[in-house]
Formats: sequence, C-alpha cells, structure tokens
Amino acid sequence: MYELNMLLHGAQALFNQPMALLLALFGVTLGIIIGALPGLTATMGVAILLPFTFGMDPLSGLLMISGVFFGGIYGGSVTAILLKIPGTPAAAATAIDGFELTKKGQAGIALGTATFSSFLGGTASVFVLIFLAPVLARFALEFSASESFALAVFGLSIIASISGVSVIKGLIAGFLGLLLATVGLDPMGGFPRYTGGYTELFNVPFIPVMIGLFAAAEAFKSLEDPQVRAGMAAALDRIIPPWHMFRRQLGNIARSSGLGIVIGMIPGAGADIAAFVAYNEAKRFSKTPENYGKGELGAVAACESGANGCTGGALLTMLTLGIPGDAVTAVMLGALTLQGLQPGPLLFKDHADLVFTLFAGMLVCYVFMLVVGLGSLRFMGRILQMPKSVLTPAILALCIVGTYAINNSMFDIWIMLAAGVVGYFMQKWDFPASPVVLALIMGPMAEANFRRALSLSNGSYDFLYTRPITATLLVIAILTLMLPLLRRLWAERSAGGPSTINPAAGSSRMGTPE
Amino acid sequence: MSNAPAPGGKAGLRPQDRLATLVIAVLVMAVAVAAIIVAGDFPPTMLETDVGPARFPIIFAGALLVLCAILVFNTLRAPAAPPDDLPQAGPKASYGTVAIGIVATAACLYAMEFVGYAIATPIYLFGLMWLMGRRNLIANAAIAAVLTALIYAAFAVALSVPLPVGSLFE
Repeated sequence: MYELNMLLHGAQALFNQPMALLLALFGVTLGIIIGALPGLTATMGVAILLPFTFGMDPLSGLLMISGVFFGGIYGGSVTAILLKIPGTPAAAATAIDGFELTKKGQAGIALGTATFSSFLGGTASVFVLIFLAPVLARFALEFSASESFALAVFGLSIIASISGVSVIKGLIAGFLGLLLATVGLDPMGGFPRYTGGYTELFNVPFIPVMIGLFAAAEAFKSLEDPQVRAGMAAALDRIIPPWHMFRRQLGNIARSSGLGIVIGMIPGAGADIAAFVAYNEAKRFSKTPENYGKGELGAVAACESGANGCTGGALLTMLTLGIPGDAVTAVMLGALTLQGLQPGPLLFKDHADLVFTLFAGMLVCYVFMLVVGLGSLRFMGRILQMPKSVLTPAILALCIVGTYAINNSMFDIWIMLAAGVVGYFMQKWDFPASPVVLALIMGPMAEANFRRALSLSNGSYDFLYTRPITATLLVIAILTLMLPLLRRLWAERSAGGPSTINPAAGSSRMGTPE
Repeated sequence: MSNAPAPGGKAGLRPQDRLATLVIAVLVMAVAVAAIIVAGDFPPTMLETDVGPARFPIIFAGALLVLCAILVFNTLRAPAAPPDDLPQAGPKASYGTVAIGIVATAACLYAMEFVGYAIATPIYLFGLMWLMGRRNLIANAAIAAVLTALIYAAFAVALSVPLPVGSLFE
C-alpha cells in the first residue's frame, strides 16, 4: 500500500509540472526517431541528451532521458518491420518475422502489434519496478560471473531454434559469429586477437555487421529484381490488430514481458538478449512453431514485449543497487549523478517523493509512446509506397550514414559493406543471419564471464554444477539446443520414416532469410 | 536452393546448389583452420586460473570444422533433384545488377573519403536509381538531391552527428 500511496502522490506532483510532461513527450518522440534510424541507438540518444539535462530540474531531466530510452527501444521495431533495418540491436529479432509480415502485406498489423506489445511490456516492467524493486534486486544480487555465463549460454542455445529448417547451417552461422566475436581485445588479458594491427577492431563492431547482414544484404537482394518500380502500396490498411488476433498474444506478451524484466535486471544483459530469449520461448510455447521465421505475429509480440520489459528491469537494479543493467542505464546512472542523486537504497529513503514522481512519469512516458507510435505509423508506412528503385538506394545510403554515425569511422562502413556482401550470399544459400548477430552479442559475454568465474573458483570447473541458478540455466540451455533435434526425430518416428527435409538443403524458401 | 523431393521421399539437390554448399563449407573450414593457426601464436596467460586468449577461438573454430564436415557429408549424401525440378517461375534474377551495385557502393565509400558525403552520396543515389531502371534523369537527380539533404538534416543537423567532409575539404 505504501508504494501505491506514494505513486498517487507522485502522479499528483507530476501533473502539476507541465514542463516535465512536455519534455517527456519530446524525449519519447525523439527516442522513436533515434531508434528508427539505423546506427543510432537508445544509448546514443540518451548520451546526446545528457548534457542538456544539466540545467534542468532532476524530474524533467530524468523523465526526458527515460522517454528517449523507452522510445528508442520501441522505435527500432518500425524500420525492422518495414525495411528489415533493425534500428537498434534489440530490433534484430523483430526483423526476422516482422519483415516477412510486411512482405505478406501485413505491415500495419505487425506495427500495431509491436506498438501495443511494447506498451504492455514496458508498462508491466515499470509496475514491477515500483512494487517489487527490493525483492527482485536481492535476487539479481545472486548473479555473479558464473550465472551470467550460464545466461549467455542459454541465449546461445537459441541459435538452434532460430536456424529455420537447417539446424546445421544455423549452427555454422552461429559458430562463425562466435569466432568473429573473438576478434578484438581478449577480455581478461587485453591481448589483441585477429585484429591485423587495426585498432578499429579492438572492439567487435557488431552494429556495422548487423546493419550489413540485415539491411544491406536485403538491399542488394532487391537489386536482383528487375520489377523494381512497384512499391508495397496499401500495406498499411489496418494498424490496430483485430481483438481476436491480439487476444491470442496476451499470454505470449505476459510471458515475454516477465522474461524481459528478469533479463533486464541482470547486469550486462540488455534488451537485445531479452528480445532473442523472448522470441525463442514464444516459439517453444507456440502451437505452430514451424511458422516462426516465416512471418508470425507472435514473434513480433514476443520480441517487442521482451525488449521493452527489459527497460524496467534494467532501471530496477540501477536505481536500487546502482548497478546498471545495460549500456543505456549506465548512461542514465551518469544522468542521476549529474543531478546530485546517488542510486541505491538511500535514494528511496532520502528522495522517495522524487523517485515515485519519476515512476509515475515513466508510466506516462509509455502512454506517450503508445500515442506517438500509433499516430506516426501511417506516416512511416508511406515509406512502403515508394518504388523500390528509390527505396533501395535510400536504404543503402541510410546504411552507410547510420554505420558512420556510430563511431564516425569510415572503417566501420567497410565492415558493414563486407557484412552486406556476406549476408547476401548467406541469404542465397539459406544460411540464417540472425545466429551470427546473436553470437556477436552473446559470445563476448559468455567468454568473459566464463573466464571470470573460473578465476573466482581458483581454476575449478565446479561452478558449472554447484551453483543452482547456473546449473538450472545450463540444463535449460542444453534442452533448448536439443529440442529442434528431438522434435525432428519425433516427427520422423511419427511419420514412420526419415524426414523429407534434407538438412543439407536448407529452406525451400528461396533466399528467404531466417 | 532447391529441395524438391527426389524419388524415395528424400529432398534433392540441384548440381549448382550442391557445388555452392560445398564451396561455402570448404571456405568456412579454411577460415577455421586459419583461426586455429593464428591462435597458436597467442601468448600464454599470466594467470594460473585462466584458460588464456586462445582457448575460446580454438573451441569455436574446432566446432566449425566438425559442423562443416557434417554439412559436407550431408550434401554429398543428398540425392540429386529430378531433372524437371526447375527454378520457381518468376522474373529471372539479375546477378550482374547486384555485382554492379556492390561495386558502386564500394566506389561511393572510396570517393566519400576524399570528396565527402555531400558529393559522393547524390552521385551514388543517382547511379543506383539508373541501375534499377529509372531512366528519368531530371527526376532521378532531384530525388537524389532531396534524399541526400533529408539524411543530412536528420543526422548532421537534428542529431549533431558529423558526416564525412572528405580529405580534400578538411
């Protein structure tokens, strides 16, 4: 009851500060734009706005930054669905099925579902942040290097289920991504691996690789098509998904939001991991898992509610313990300290009024996101009506500029181009691109935490089975990895003979990315 | 790729698909072998409890070798597609256009380093539109200029992200 009373007081205080609300609306709108532009992430958006908050009162500054954070995570889904350009790493999972839905002429429904799912996932996460902060923060404290390693392995085990028809090809793509993820500085000793002397390669440039594999590869594929004049007019005939359709996703959204919230609380695991894990679990629980990768609405709902659920989880550990859950909250930590506020248990004791007014404002931010998101979709959908002969060059130019924007580096653009060419050939021969991206995100996390855990246990591998959370996550990971193979064996047994699907042949969907 | 069922219910592979899969598998194996050889030169770790910088790359490369071997085995074992397994009906893909598009993108990047975003981008956009069959030169030039300006406004003006000016103008 204490929390509810404080929240009501906070809401009252918030609505007496119209300027703070206006800044929140500005933050959300800017966040959506930033999220939609390739190369510009929510982290960058928050970092860009950070200096502007210096002269603001704490509530206005923090609300504007929260708005950019929430809008940025959601905004990535718009271009992921419409153009297969994941505006943010979190939207890479959304692009898999979202763009397939666009190709089927269901972009409006996909965008609408993404918006509502983002809203529900994000709102749920803020409520959890408000009511369960102390309890969940204690649980998150249990996570050390070994649990983070197990979580990364669990994330990597998803590769098998996002591989489409050919698990072998998916695993090859995944391990290639893992090998690629070792390029750069060794996480323990700082030794440069496979960098060829290029300092630009000291950190794995995974955003250029992601833009290349998803967006540039798709644009190169468009060049193949001689019938390039046609756009996809009238693809956005309906944005609000029909209730009977959306109702079926509510369980999926609730589960994905919960996953997102828990993953958000774990330091080092951000919205991108939450989106991929939510995708995998939605597929596992689905009655039609075979439709995933071919344009399944449930996949979009899961990814978006998972990614946005992550926001509250990440804020939770940042506010209660001072441990940022991801890169954005790390920058937000800076914003708090700039305002003279010290995150931790004392923040709730000494500045309870401000904290609960901020929580009320975060709920309002999500309402703004829903309104601005739904209001702008039709305008954004007009992009689809452009002829491909204009859209494809525009996408390639956006890929170039978006990649350059990350580090102001021409080197990154060359990496993007190389990834685009590789991605094009991967599409041609049915090697899925998403395992590469997943591996690039989770590989460094797995290696660094494994080696840290090994050092903490004095070189003993006992931590793999003596710590309950680690052991549970690893068992789930093994089961997740085995599930597609077991399903195939089961199907073969049920059919009384070997599957007609040849593992070497891959998908029959010519050039369709997984 | 084709996987039309061959007699006996097994999926079939066209010769070109089989060849392409084998070439890709061999290329990936070559990358994995190179990675293992280079990892051999990584220095040993100073910490007794650490596995060192080479362990993980070697594990990943080793797994790649095994997986590629399985892919090669499956590909060689897969039956051939029946002769009537023709590619799906539809417009013929123009691989030449893709190749020119990739080369044009590389040329644009190369030019951007010298002449900057403002000159390289509109020429690139104009060229790609022409490549994709738009022959209205005036409209193409106008669209290229507008797109260049819009992207510049979004990134450089609104978000203060500096775009390449080119070494000739720095």
